[in-house]
Amino acid sequence: MDAEDLRLLEAFRGGEESAFAALVIKYRESIYRVARHMLGNHEDAADATQDVFIRAYRALPRFDGRSQIYTWLYRITVNLCLDLRSRLTRLPLLDDEESMRDLPAGPMIEEEAAGREIGRIVSRAVAGLPPRQRAMVVLRLYQDLPYQEIARIMGCSEGTVKATMFAALRKLRRVLAEQGVRAP
Amino acid sequence: MTMRCQEALERLVEGLTGSVPPADREAVIAHLATCARCRQEAVELEATAARLRESASFTVPPGFWPAFMNRLTDRMAQDRLPLLARVRRWLGSPRHAWATAVVTAMVVIALSAAARLQPRSATSPDPSLVRARGLVTETMTVTLPSLAEMLDIWRAGMTEVDPHLDALQRRSP
Repeated sequence: MDAEDLRLLEAFRGGEESAFAALVIKYRESIYRVARHMLGNHEDAADATQDVFIRAYRALPRFDGRSQIYTWLYRITVNLCLDLRSRLTRLPLLDDEESMRDLPAGPMIEEEAAGREIGRIVSRAVAGLPPRQRAMVVLRLYQDLPYQEIARIMGCSEGTVKATMFAALRKLRRVLAEQGVRAP
Repeated sequence: MTMRCQEALERLVEGLTGSVPPADREAVIAHLATCARCRQEAVELEATAARLRESASFTVPPGFWPAFMNRLTDRMAQDRLPLLARVRRWLGSPRHAWATAVVTAMVVIALSAAARLQPRSATSPDPSLVRARGLVTETMTVTLPSLAEMLDIWRAGMTEVDPHLDALQRRSP
């Protein structure tokens, strides 16, 4: 386990609540990004991120340390988001903030608007993937996790992750092509 | 698509979306050099991965994280366990599991030993008290030393009869 995480974990178990706050600060943005990609809008992602850390706060004393803390947190996040998504039959509602992606500042307003539109289409395409497939795409493409870690988080084999990633990327290529989105 | 193509493209995707071991990379390059169809697919998949990565970043509303931390701290405070439960949680953590088990075992052994070493009465028990004492276990008398004495007094009160009081009772109709 990461030495810093181990120190914080030991401090928390020793009764230092501030050690948990340090872990939250360290991982909150990664967790939020996964939730945002999984759920599609800021409000749901913010609530999910809160719930992830509350669950972690309750369960951390029983954390056995066999995996990295971030792997454990991602697993909580993915399970929570899959659970939330399963309660809704519709596609995730994408909020207008999807268009607030960080774009390089440029003088061309039209270019910026086109970039936002493409971002919206890409988000919609990712949101349209089956939930587990989407989770794997998010963990790999946006969090750069190795296949082995993703397999651990998703509770499947590495082979399944590889095959799923391949299928997902082909599907996304087709959807983006249908929407007229070309390579950057 | 042959199985070899499928495998090569899966490895390609692995490389496009993250990293791939050098040996696998060489194998993919070797395959692409000989397969035009996979080359075309590789170009398209690479473009898709690049597009997905490019539109990956989000911004949060200003002041979101401080508000997030305040809300989380409040929820954690509500969630905070009472002292006894926190001690139980601390003892239950994997780090302390063995220590807790060893200490518990030592306490049990010490209590059993103390109970066995308790000095027994030298005189044999009064046969008239045996029946009443049958209901009282050794552990009860050890933990409550005065219990045996109380039983004796109670038993004496039930069996010894004052002769004057007995005579009075016989005379009355």
